[in-house]
Amino acid sequence: MSRRRVAAITRRLLQQFRRDRRTLALLFLAPLLILGLLGYLLRGGGGVPSMAIVNLDAGPLGGVVASELEQSATVSATRMSQADAQAKLRSGDLAGYVLLPADFSTQIQQARLVAPEVHLEGSQPGLSGSILQAVSQSFTALAGTAGVRFTPRVTYLYGGPSFDTLDYFGAAFIGLVVFFLVFVITAVSFLRERLQGTLERLMASPLRRPEIVLGYMLGFTVLALIQAAEVLLFSLIVLHVHNSGNVALIFVMEALMAIAAVNLGIFLSMFARSEFQAVQFIPLVIVPQVLLAGIIFPLSTEPGPLQVLSRVLPLTYAVEGMRNIMIKGADLGWSSLQLDFGVVLGFGVLVILAGATTLRRRIA
Amino acid sequence: MATAPPYAVEVEDVSKRFGAQPALDGVTLKIRRGEVYGILGPNGAGKTTLIRSLVGLIVPDGGTVTVLGQRMPSLDILARVGYMTQQAALYPDLSAGENVRFFAEIYGAHDGVREALEFVDLWDRRDSVVSELSGGMRTRCSLACALVHKPDLLLLDEPTVGVDPLVRVQLWDRFQRMAHEGKSILVSSHVMDEAERSDRLGLIRFGRLLAEGTVGELKQKAGVERLEDAFLKLSEASPQ
Repeated sequence: MSRRRVAAITRRLLQQFRRDRRTLALLFLAPLLILGLLGYLLRGGGGVPSMAIVNLDAGPLGGVVASELEQSATVSATRMSQADAQAKLRSGDLAGYVLLPADFSTQIQQARLVAPEVHLEGSQPGLSGSILQAVSQSFTALAGTAGVRFTPRVTYLYGGPSFDTLDYFGAAFIGLVVFFLVFVITAVSFLRERLQGTLERLMASPLRRPEIVLGYMLGFTVLALIQAAEVLLFSLIVLHVHNSGNVALIFVMEALMAIAAVNLGIFLSMFARSEFQAVQFIPLVIVPQVLLAGIIFPLSTEPGPLQVLSRVLPLTYAVEGMRNIMIKGADLGWSSLQLDFGVVLGFGVLVILAGATTLRRRIA
Repeated sequence: MATAPPYAVEVEDVSKRFGAQPALDGVTLKIRRGEVYGILGPNGAGKTTLIRSLVGLIVPDGGTVTVLGQRMPSLDILARVGYMTQQAALYPDLSAGENVRFFAEIYGAHDGVREALEFVDLWDRRDSVVSELSGGMRTRCSLACALVHKPDLLLLDEPTVGVDPLVRVQLWDRFQRMAHEGKSILVSSHVMDEAERSDRLGLIRFGRLLAEGTVGELKQKAGVERLEDAFLKLSEASPQ
């Protein structure tokens, strides 16, 4: 073994990277970007779940519990009427509300029983958990409650007690898996078309640019749709991911995401000089979107500025749409689902146009 | 129908710059129908830029390009032009036959795949995947892709680079055969001895056309015996 030969390989490698500034930048900046984003998300003083308190108690104890809840750090609680709370629960503005019945004080004093009603929106298990925790904590504030049994009656607007993390993530990931795999495959194969010189040949043929983009789109969409169907069936039949919506609607959303991914791939491949650089889009484009699209952390719990950013990302709407359908059983009559579909569709059109216009610029 | 224009290609005073670097500097040349026209010049002389401007991949800063009687850029005329890029631009995961069929369809040709593959002696290897073919076979396959739609004008950008001498001779035989059938062919090269086989030759350097004519005319003009010497002499005579 020759030390010089080994050193020659090591040195050559470092020399190569010195010339590839973009890879260097990625190597040292991307981790900071991703970790910084994660840190800001988790510690940036983001919102806490919003809940309401409906206090119907004729006695004094309901008020004590309510003001205790209002001071809680884990939730943001406000008092309102039951009708208001119910409406806001449906619109998604509230993650839940607690109802203290008229005989709340009496029950505690006579039956040593605490029985509030907890109504949860239910589509986001993390938020539901925070609310249940805050409610049970607020009752420890009641003086002299030793021996009192805490038996809340919990109801769910969507999902249910058996609704778990997979049900929540599953809905988002069904669309996400298709979106990212299709994106990477298209970006790399379109880049290859350019590197191997065949795109130059196509551009010197009577082919029109929209024909190239459309042909590519159809080809990859066929693959993407088969993949989408496979992912969907596996999730529903093997994993038993919760679904209260129309399967066809889920598939349409997946298809729209796939088409957008194909064209995003074509578009972004214009900004890569090698397959190596194309793969670099994963930490730069994909990871931040996964963090910000509300897949893992609900949008309402993000720090304010990040919420604005999230609202701009098309993936946020795709994920929301999938959850609307699968968890809430939304149909096209829902205005929130219309918005989700509209944004994903609009994004698709935008990247189709972007891909078609940059196609010529980069070849010439 | 109007009579066909006498020239397959007319380049009038074409210039193109890339940044401060002039790639083409007032080039004027005409390619007759049914001739093999060789563009001879060292690497970086502007050969590829000239060919790319003929198919509209490059829009010149000045001057006009007319192909088969049609001012460029024009998508429609491209159906009658065959273009072979410098590297054998093929789909490595497809077979030779699939590659040729693809380009046939792109150019709107319904048959001719077999004819094209037979022309380059690859019909027997039509089912071989391109990545498994030798360099010379790939070049021939690339040529088949460029001529499958029976174009009137063939533009070949250094088609014999990296090809062994035997295949090179075979390729030139084919170029001359096609010219005899009435096709016009532009071949760029930086190799003197093969360029001598063109009907007419343009010498290009620093983006300028130094001289044009048959090999004999060029030698006579320079007053030398060998094309190589003619190139050097004419190159020196031209102002930088």
